[in-house]
Amino acid sequence: MAPIPKDKYSVILPTYNERKNLPVITWLLEKTFTEHKLDWELIIVDDGSPDGTQEVAKQLITAYGPNRIVLKPRAGKLGLGTAYVHGLQFVTGNFVIIMDADFSHHPKFIAEFIAKQKTKNYDIVTGTRYAGDGGVYGWDFKRKLVSRGANLLASVVLRPNVSDLTGSFRLYKKHVLEKVIQTTESKGYTFQMEMMVRARALGYSVAEVPISFVDRIYGDSKLGGDEIVEYAKGVFNLWLKV
Amino acid sequence: MTRAIETISALLLFSSLYLAAFLGLIPFPAKVQEEIIPVLPFWALVSFGAYLLFSLGWGIFTFNDTEAAYHELVTEIQQAKKELRVKGVDVD
Repeated sequence: MAPIPKDKYSVILPTYNERKNLPVITWLLEKTFTEHKLDWELIIVDDGSPDGTQEVAKQLITAYGPNRIVLKPRAGKLGLGTAYVHGLQFVTGNFVIIMDADFSHHPKFIAEFIAKQKTKNYDIVTGTRYAGDGGVYGWDFKRKLVSRGANLLASVVLRPNVSDLTGSFRLYKKHVLEKVIQTTESKGYTFQMEMMVRARALGYSVAEVPISFVDRIYGDSKLGGDEIVEYAKGVFNLWLKV
Repeated sequence: MTRAIETISALLLFSSLYLAAFLGLIPFPAKVQEEIIPVLPFWALVSFGAYLLFSLGWGIFTFNDTEAAYHELVTEIQQAKKELRVKGVDVD
């Protein structure tokens, strides 16, 4: 009998000035994957950070080994969507995890994503802040109002059957991510939303796992009038196109 | 079919049905015809708005604060930094 091919999980982590966060997130990833006896790799796509992110990444390659940590830098800030396309070329696993490097997404949830994926062979598993035990830390009333309002708008207009459309902590089958990313056009705030809406339109199965979202421990996240207008335009465009 | 076409088709279907009812092309008892049908669109609009407001309020009200997750993370970050230093990785 031929050996059953083992699942391998590749984390694509786009970074820009994440010198402080990158080592700790790597440590947390290693801890999670080792505890659950999973095969993994981390692909760091750094957009030419001036703060020394790449030097730290090289130290991590020495510490954890080149079969675990892969550094694939790009010349400058080229955006999130193309960072995933770039990272995908070097993926050796059959599953890809995308997440933020700023600790808002805790790697411990990856184990739950994987368990959920296995239950019904889902194509995508996405973290949700809005269902079950999910939630956020560090948000005031205004921030919650904007977040909930934005999500409600998208839910009503796009009817995606997903409770957290703008979340960016997800597990994809590799070929599914490749396919979805090909058809996705938008950048910035609406990128993650479009990925999910396109995936739904292509008929992929999606499951959700509640996550606790700890807002940026270092640095602040911005959310102003301009972002809200951009977001509304993004929702409207998807309504027309998908 | 995009979501826009879906939504617009549904709206067109409902508005033609409503128009037929409004113009008396579908027989209804006089009381329904005179007192209910004329205010139906406003009722639908107000109900939809109320539903949206309720969803928004309920969503904010039930939005969990995950304080424990924060404290767990802070502890882990400290432990990570200790172990990373031993491995020769620069951390603050």
